[in-house]
Amino acid sequence: MQRVGALIMQQLMRHRMPQGQLLRRRNPTTPAVLLSTFTQQQQKRGTATSTVSSKQATPPPRHDWNRAVSEAERIVGYPTSFLSLRWLLSDEIANVALHLRKLVGSAHPLMKTAKHLLYNGKNTMQAWGLIVLLVSKAAGHAPSIPDVEQDKSAGVLHSQRALAEVTEMIRISHLVHNSVVNLQSGTQAGQDVSTYDDMSFGNKIGLLTGDYLLGHSSAELANLRNQEVVELISSAVRDFSESEFIGERDEQNNPLPYKPGTFQRPSLSVAVDFNEHDVMTPMPIGQVLGNPEQEWECRNILNAGSLLGKSCQASLKLAGQSEQMQRHAYRFGKHLALAWQACLDAEIFQCPTLPLDTTFSLVSAPVLFHLEHDPSLYALIEPGKKSVELIDYVQIHKAVIAGPALAKTKELQCKHTAAALSVLQHFPATDARQALENIILAMQDL
Amino acid sequence: MACLSTSGRVACGSRRQQAHKFICRLFLNPSLRRQSSHLSVGPAPAEGHARKYAHTHNPQLARRFYGLSLGTNQDNLSLLQNSHNCSNNAQYSPQSMQSLRTQSSVHTQQPAGPVREIQIDPYIILDDELKYFYDDVRDLLQSGTSQSELDTIACYYFDGQGKALRPMVTMLMAKALNYHLNNESHQLVHKQRQIALFSEMVHSASLVHDDVIDQSDFRRGKPSVNALWNHKKVTMAGDYILSIASIMISRLRSDDVTIVLSQILTDLVQGEFMQLGSRETENERFAHYLTKTYRKTASLIANALKATAVIAQADDNVAEVAFQYGRNIGLAFQLVDDMLDFVSSTEQMGKPTAADLKLGLATAPVLFACEKYPELNPMVMRRFSEPGDVERAFELVHKSHGLEQTRFLAKKHCNEAIRLAQELTESPYQKGLQVVADLVINRMK
Repeated sequence: MQRVGALIMQQLMRHRMPQGQLLRRRNPTTPAVLLSTFTQQQQKRGTATSTVSSKQATPPPRHDWNRAVSEAERIVGYPTSFLSLRWLLSDEIANVALHLRKLVGSAHPLMKTAKHLLYNGKNTMQAWGLIVLLVSKAAGHAPSIPDVEQDKSAGVLHSQRALAEVTEMIRISHLVHNSVVNLQSGTQAGQDVSTYDDMSFGNKIGLLTGDYLLGHSSAELANLRNQEVVELISSAVRDFSESEFIGERDEQNNPLPYKPGTFQRPSLSVAVDFNEHDVMTPMPIGQVLGNPEQEWECRNILNAGSLLGKSCQASLKLAGQSEQMQRHAYRFGKHLALAWQACLDAEIFQCPTLPLDTTFSLVSAPVLFHLEHDPSLYALIEPGKKSVELIDYVQIHKAVIAGPALAKTKELQCKHTAAALSVLQHFPATDARQALENIILAMQDL
Repeated sequence: MACLSTSGRVACGSRRQQAHKFICRLFLNPSLRRQSSHLSVGPAPAEGHARKYAHTHNPQLARRFYGLSLGTNQDNLSLLQNSHNCSNNAQYSPQSMQSLRTQSSVHTQQPAGPVREIQIDPYIILDDELKYFYDDVRDLLQSGTSQSELDTIACYYFDGQGKALRPMVTMLMAKALNYHLNNESHQLVHKQRQIALFSEMVHSASLVHDDVIDQSDFRRGKPSVNALWNHKKVTMAGDYILSIASIMISRLRSDDVTIVLSQILTDLVQGEFMQLGSRETENERFAHYLTKTYRKTASLIANALKATAVIAQADDNVAEVAFQYGRNIGLAFQLVDDMLDFVSSTEQMGKPTAADLKLGLATAPVLFACEKYPELNPMVMRRFSEPGDVERAFELVHKSHGLEQTRFLAKKHCNEAIRLAQELTESPYQKGLQVVADLVINRMK
C-alpha cells in the first residue's frame, strides 16, 4: 500500500511542489531504495515531518526501530507492502491519484491520511503485513503443504504473503473510510459553503478508494480457497466498523470518554475477548465500559488488535498449524497491537508541552486513566460533545502529565509487551522469532 | 385455463412487505389488473397488525394453479396451506384503496407486455423462500454486533419496501436449476437462499455507500441513511453489511462460490470508478456505458445466479446459462431504470427524477439522443454542469427517440434472457424466469 501511496503522492507533489522538495519526499518511498536505505530514511524523516525531528537529536537508543524493521524485512524476503505491478498499473489507483490531486490544498482529512500512509515511519506502523509474515515464518508450516505453495527462499507460503497484503489493504481501507467527513446538514462541516464541494468530493474519493481496497481484499481472500480464513478476516472487518460506534461521539464521530460515574461496575478479573468458537459473536464490550483499562483494551482490540491477531491466526490456519498454535498467534498479534497502541498513546504526553496544532485522542489510555484519577477533568472534555475542536487540549495535556496517568500507560504497554513476548515462547527459536522480539524491544525504547 | 391469472391472493405472506409486494405485483403483472376491483389487500399501515390479516384464501384458484403446476408439486403445496380467511377487509382504509386505483390507472397508460400463455407469478411460487426473507437478513445483521445504532443503520434498507428483485431472480434460477438437474435436497435450497441473502445485502451496502457519495436525501420514498445519521457511521455500516454477508458466505464452505461472489464486489467498485470519468470519445462512450452498467448492476445478478449453479453442482454449460440469463436481466433492468429516470414521477420512484442528469451521468437515453442532437455532446462532456444543461438535455431526450431506443435495447436483452431460460427443463420456475423478463421490461418503478 505504501507503494500506492507513493504513487499518489508523487503525482501530487510533481504537480504542486518545487523540484527539490519533490525529490526529498520521493526518496524514502522509491521501491528500489526502500530496503537498503533505512539510515537515509531516518535522516530524511527529520526533514520531512516536524513532529519527530526533536527525537533525532537524542543519542541512538539501545534498540533501533528502523534497524529492527529492516532486518525483519530481509528475513521474510522483501518488504511486505505491495510490490506487485498490478497495483502501480491499476486503472483505479491511477484514477484515485488523478482525483486526489484536486484535493491538494483542501482541508479534507483524506489528504492527511494519505500523507500518513506515505511516511513509512514508526508513527503509522506500516509493518502489519510484516508482522504477519514473521509470525508465519516463525511458526513454520505443516509437512503436508505441497512444495509449489511455498516460497522457499523466504520461508513463508505464497498464500501467507497474499494474506499479509490483504491485512494491509483492509487496514488502509478502514483508515481511508474513517477520513470521510460528516456533512449532515446540522453539522458545521455541512454548513460551511466554501468547503462543502471539496469535502463532498473528498468523501466520494475516500469512500470509493476504501471500497476498492475492500473489494480487492475479498477477491484475494477468496483465492486463498480457505473458508475459515475468509470467515475470520471478514469478522475483523466487522470489528473495525463496530469500533466506530462505541461510546459517545462528537459530530465528526470522534470518540469521547463517558462521564465518570456513568457505569458502576466491578472490574472483571479476566480480560474480555472474542468468543473463540463463534466469530460471529461480537466483542462483549458492554461489560467493561467505565473501567479505564479494560474499556481501552476492548476499544483497541476492535480498532487494531482484532485484525492483527486474526490475520496471524489465519496465516497459521493456511499453514495447517494446530488450533493451539493458532490461538497463540492470535494472542501475539493482539498483544502486540495493544502494546503498540499504548506506546502511541503515551508518546504525546512525553513532551513537556503540547506541540502547536497537535491533538490527541480523548479515549487514549492516559486520558482515561487520568479521568479515573481525577473525574473533574471531564469538565474540560464536556464541550467536545459538539465538536472536539472546542476542547482546550493544552490544558488537558497539562493536567494529564501532572498526574499518574502516563506512568500507568507505560505500565500498560509493558504488560502487553510482556504478554506478547511470553506468547512468543511457544514458537520455535528462529531468526523470525528473534526479529519479532527485536521489534518489540525496539518499540519499548521509542 | 389459458390465462391463469396468478391470483396474488393466495399465500400472501404475513408481514408488512408481503402486502407491499402485493402492490408491486399488481403493478407489474398486466393480467392482474383485471382483478384489481376485487382486491382486498392494501399497503399495511403497521407491521404489528399486518400479520393478522395478510393471509388470504382462494381455494379455487389455488387448486387450478396447483393442477397446472407442470410436474413439480412439493413447493406448490405451500400455496394450499393457508388456513386464515381474510375476514378483516374492513381494516383497509379508503386511502389505500384509492392509492391502488391511482396506481393502476397510471399503469394503463403504459403499453402492456405480451401476455404469456400461462402467467406465473414468481413472487408467489417463491413464497416459502421470500416470506421471511428480510426478517432473516435483519436477524443476521443483529447477531453480528452489540451496538444498537450500527444495527439500526445496517437494517434501515431491509424494511421490506424494496422490490427484492435480486433475491427473487436468484431463488427462481436456483429452483429452476435444481429441477433441471433433478436435485431435490432441501439443504441445497437453503444454501442457495444464503446466496440470495448475499445478493440483497451487497446491493443494500452499495446503496448505503452511494447515499453518502451522492448526498441524495430520499430513497424508496423515505429519508436516505445519510440524511439521518453521521456519514462516517453510515460508511462503517456499509462495510459492516459487507463483512456480515461475507462471513455468511464463507460458512457455506465452498471455495468456488466465494470466488464467484467476490467478483461482484470488485465489479461494483470498478463500475463506480468508471462512472467518475467521462473522457471517452463518442464512439467509445456507449461501450463504456454498457460495461459500467454490467459492472454496477448486472454482475451482481449474473454472478449470484452462477453461484447457485455452482451450489447445485451444475456443469459449466449450465452455469453459463445461469450467468448469461442474469447478465441479460441485469442489463435490461438497468436500461429500464435509466429510461424511467426520464419518464416516471418522483412519487412513483421514491427518488427524484432526472437524478442521473443531475449527477452528471449520461445514460442510454441521452447517448441515443446524441445521435439526433449533437449539441448534447458538449453537455455530456461537461457532465451537465452548466445552468440549464439538465433541463435542456431532458427536453432533447424526450424530443428524440432516445427512450424508445433504450426500451428496444432492453427488450432485446429480455428476449435473450427468455431464450436462455428456455434452455432449461420446463418447470414453473423456468416459466417464472421468463415471466421475470416481462416484469423487468414492463415495470413502472
